[in-house]
Amino acid sequence: MIALLTVIISFSAASIIGFIPGKNTKLIRSLALLAALATFAASLVCYFQYLAANSQFQQVIDLAWIPAIGAQFKVGVDGLSISLLVLTGIVAISGVLFSWELEDRANQFYAYYFALIGGVFGVFLSLDLFLLFVFYEIAIVPKYFIIAIWGSGKKTYAAMKLVLFSFVGSAVALFGLIALYYGSGQHTFDLIQLMQEGEFSETFQLMVFPILFVGFAILAGMWPFHTWAPTGHVAAPTAASMLLAGVVMKLGAYGCLRVAIGLLPYGAIYWAPVIGWIAVINIVYGALIALVQKDFKYVIGYSSVSHMGFVLLGLATLNEVGLMGASLQMFSHGIIGALLFAIVGTVIYTRTHTRQLYELHNLMARMPGVCWAFIIAGLASMGLPGFSGFVSELHVLIGTWNQDQFSIWIIILAGFGILATFTYTLVKIHEAFFRASQSHSTTESYAPMTLAEKAGCALLILFAVAIGLYPKLLTSILEPSLAPILEALAVAAG
Amino acid sequence: MNAAFLYQLLFLLPLLTAAVIACFLRTKHNLAANFSVLSGLIFSAIALFLIYVRPEGDWSVTWLTLGGSFELKFGVLFNDLSALMLLVLIIVGFLVQVFSLGYMKDDLGKARFFAGLSIFMFAMLGIVLADNLVMIFIFWELVGFSSYVLINHYFDKPSAVSASKKAFIVNRIGDFGFLLGILFVYWQFGTFDLVELEERARLSPGYLSTGMALLLFCGVIGKSAQMPLHVWLPDAMEGPTPISALIHAATMVAAGIYFSARVYFLMLPGMEVIMWVGTITAVFAAVVAFGQNDIKKILAFSTLSQLGYMVAALGLGAASSLQRHGEHAVISTGAAVAMYHLTTHAFFKALLFLGSGSVIHACHHEQDIYKMGGLYGEMKITSITFGIGVLAIGGFPFLAGFFSKDSILHLAHESDFNLVSYLLFGTTALTGLYMGRLFVVTFFGKPRSAHAERAKENGPAIVLPLVILGILSVIGGYEWFFGHTFEAVIGAIPNAEGPFKMLMIITGLLFSVGGLIVGWLVWNPSKDSDTLENVAPGLFKALVAKLYFDSIYDWYVKKVQDRGALILGFLDQLFITGLMVRGTAEIIGLMGIVSRSLHGGNIGGYVYWFAIGVVVLGAIAFGVL
Repeated sequence: MIALLTVIISFSAASIIGFIPGKNTKLIRSLALLAALATFAASLVCYFQYLAANSQFQQVIDLAWIPAIGAQFKVGVDGLSISLLVLTGIVAISGVLFSWELEDRANQFYAYYFALIGGVFGVFLSLDLFLLFVFYEIAIVPKYFIIAIWGSGKKTYAAMKLVLFSFVGSAVALFGLIALYYGSGQHTFDLIQLMQEGEFSETFQLMVFPILFVGFAILAGMWPFHTWAPTGHVAAPTAASMLLAGVVMKLGAYGCLRVAIGLLPYGAIYWAPVIGWIAVINIVYGALIALVQKDFKYVIGYSSVSHMGFVLLGLATLNEVGLMGASLQMFSHGIIGALLFAIVGTVIYTRTHTRQLYELHNLMARMPGVCWAFIIAGLASMGLPGFSGFVSELHVLIGTWNQDQFSIWIIILAGFGILATFTYTLVKIHEAFFRASQSHSTTESYAPMTLAEKAGCALLILFAVAIGLYPKLLTSILEPSLAPILEALAVAAG
Repeated sequence: MNAAFLYQLLFLLPLLTAAVIACFLRTKHNLAANFSVLSGLIFSAIALFLIYVRPEGDWSVTWLTLGGSFELKFGVLFNDLSALMLLVLIIVGFLVQVFSLGYMKDDLGKARFFAGLSIFMFAMLGIVLADNLVMIFIFWELVGFSSYVLINHYFDKPSAVSASKKAFIVNRIGDFGFLLGILFVYWQFGTFDLVELEERARLSPGYLSTGMALLLFCGVIGKSAQMPLHVWLPDAMEGPTPISALIHAATMVAAGIYFSARVYFLMLPGMEVIMWVGTITAVFAAVVAFGQNDIKKILAFSTLSQLGYMVAALGLGAASSLQRHGEHAVISTGAAVAMYHLTTHAFFKALLFLGSGSVIHACHHEQDIYKMGGLYGEMKITSITFGIGVLAIGGFPFLAGFFSKDSILHLAHESDFNLVSYLLFGTTALTGLYMGRLFVVTFFGKPRSAHAERAKENGPAIVLPLVILGILSVIGGYEWFFGHTFEAVIGAIPNAEGPFKMLMIITGLLFSVGGLIVGWLVWNPSKDSDTLENVAPGLFKALVAKLYFDSIYDWYVKKVQDRGALILGFLDQLFITGLMVRGTAEIIGLMGIVSRSLHGGNIGGYVYWFAIGVVVLGAIAFGVL
């Protein structure tokens, strides 16, 4: 029940805040922060309960919903979903903190914001594919309004592009879900039942797996369907880019792992080398394109594409270490991506009023605190030891090395991708912060970080470091949840 | 006392120091500096206790486990080899901290500097003590990070900023291979643990391979600045001079050597390549040193050259037939000799760098040796200690450098590689000569700038470390200096005897003193410009450009990598965003236009379409179509 509270709180917050007059910004943002904190607290309770019990799925609620098609309202959590619930809670809180100064139609903004978050929580909780799909769709709609109303630049184009991509992705996935419904012979959408009793023939798996995987992976930013991500992230207001990069992209990856790989292991084994190749293209391609971006936010946008490549690569390894790496990377990129977007989109932008790298001068002297915060975020993003990114990338690389189906070039390219990530991050840090001014002779300091900004940065950095230093925090809950998927894979491999 | 507790204390101390400075003492510069030195003193005391008393106990905690197949630990492997490296680290580290009290006295970023030093000490300690490859890699990266922050200390100087970036990226290129190598080792042997690895490598030597050795060696090439990734080290001299002494001469750049010695058994198949890389680096850097006028750059190239000697020694150990198997001799000859030279080099090179720091401080941050001159009169202690350093690096008999260089040449002499032997031997002559040039031009003749005229000897915080390092550069090569504490390393070093020993003494004398004399004759300190520049301007220009390695890399980055990425970005816009995404939208839009034109609201049009429909349907109904 506590897990379901996250959804209930989010949707209640959305409807309550939506009806508060927009002028009461203080009340609105306090309520928003309170709601975000409450969802986070609920997710933490789930975390500790799960640690204590360590069973398969917990807090399962099973209600009849549309008996005619066998759809139930069935929710429950395991370690994988809990890790993402916690992530969503953290990003939700910091998103509110970094939108602290937002005054324009704040009531509507937070109504959409929490509707989106509620949809995301719902996806992670659903144990029924039909329900999962409904939440998946719910999460798409608010994104359009948030970007189109509060966004910047080519915002309507970006919003439309993002929503169309999302819908196309979910339409493809829906097709796969219906195939599962019939292919199992069970006429049910129940995820657990399908996993335990669904008997999908090998031909069926070979054909349906790519449909499901691609359908979900579009939302995870898989190449060549990645272009919605940079455009959408850049046009979105900060809190929304944080959610998009931090959490929404994980919806896709979560679907790939839970549904596509979990239910169709034989198909997964067949297609793994292809996914592996696409994943390293994601990694290297995203990194190289990030290297030449002039707009700071686009750099981060493409870095998300690159980092999601590591999630896909980890998934394609289909082994214990690699899947663990993918799950860790989902969490890690969620935190770090959100932090990067927050600093570039809000902290730096509100002070300099530009995102163009060539317009930034002497920032290290003029706002040292902000620069250090970004440098720390950048180090985390480039996978420096001590941060969560290192742990997850190391897992993915070891997993990749152990995957016999992969060509040696996949691991070499993945290593090269790490190098390229490192390079563009460092190059962009230098372009943004250390370039001496040429035409401008101004050296006056910018305003220091506000309390809300500091709190947001501290929260995100805290989690990146905590997982980096003590990965057991996550691995101990992920391990039992990955076990049944690995078991299914082992059976399929014969 | 339990060793585990001491290890924990050792790791915590510098980390806490950095944290306290970063959180509370950012603006209280003097307090931060004194706090850092005090913490360094306690750190050194604990380390000395560990080195000489060797209390019982291990420390190891499991960091990560996964399904039993994959386990990562954090632990300490303390043996004679790590004890020796730890000794070097604390001696040079502590003296540099004291020196910095004087050198960084009026610096505006003093607190940040000392916090960075503490992080460096923490990271380096990790490399020294780590008991597994992943832990080494983790601290390896942290060392790179602290080096980055410290090179970037004067971040308002564009050259320092770009140097820090270059150092970090070039190191990372090496680490790319290093990481692949570590994964390769794990894939073959199924463990990261050094002790287990040694065991398994001995049992199944068939799993070792040249590829594995060379991938691991990539990390060494990056960190120890071997060819062709040497380009970052001369640029790294943009950092404050104490940093150059500690990080970019004595310890961090030597970490690659230490690592190779630690996992010597994994590197064996690649030793011939390793030997050649070291030899070429030694020769190349010694030649390029003649074209530098910046006092720190000359020392940087001399560091490169000496690191080349160490790497060559590693490789030669495998090729040479010399093995002195004492009771405790557990590590291989090559590794022992390399570590020996690492130790003495740490003493005299730290001395030379701190000496140059003393000069630079006295000359108000002037670094061009042709704007110095005549400093001997005013700066007696600096000059004399610097002179000791020059003689020690030149191999003057019975100073520290003589013994270690002697053993490297001995190895080379006994190996089958005559060319390597000749090259290394010839390079010692070059070493004496370029150091002679440096010493003569800096300290003698007339002052060539106003700053040099007003130079005065520095205070005790700066001079005292020089004196101590000067003494160490004299006595640091004798076996009695090391005692039996480091027997596994020192005991494995072969001693030259008979005629070869005489030859070494004579040539050592000849090259070091001769270097000074010839240096005086050729680069007459009363002249205002470089003799080589006047005699052979073309050659000198090539040397100034460091034989064009940097230019080639710049060309690659600007013309190949950046352009490639630009083209990729363009293709992304053109094909994926443009053709595929826009194209799909256009096709759908086109369908919309077509179907809209069918619903034009024009009655005549509808009648027309209706007629066509009737005809087509009729045709189908009658079986025509």
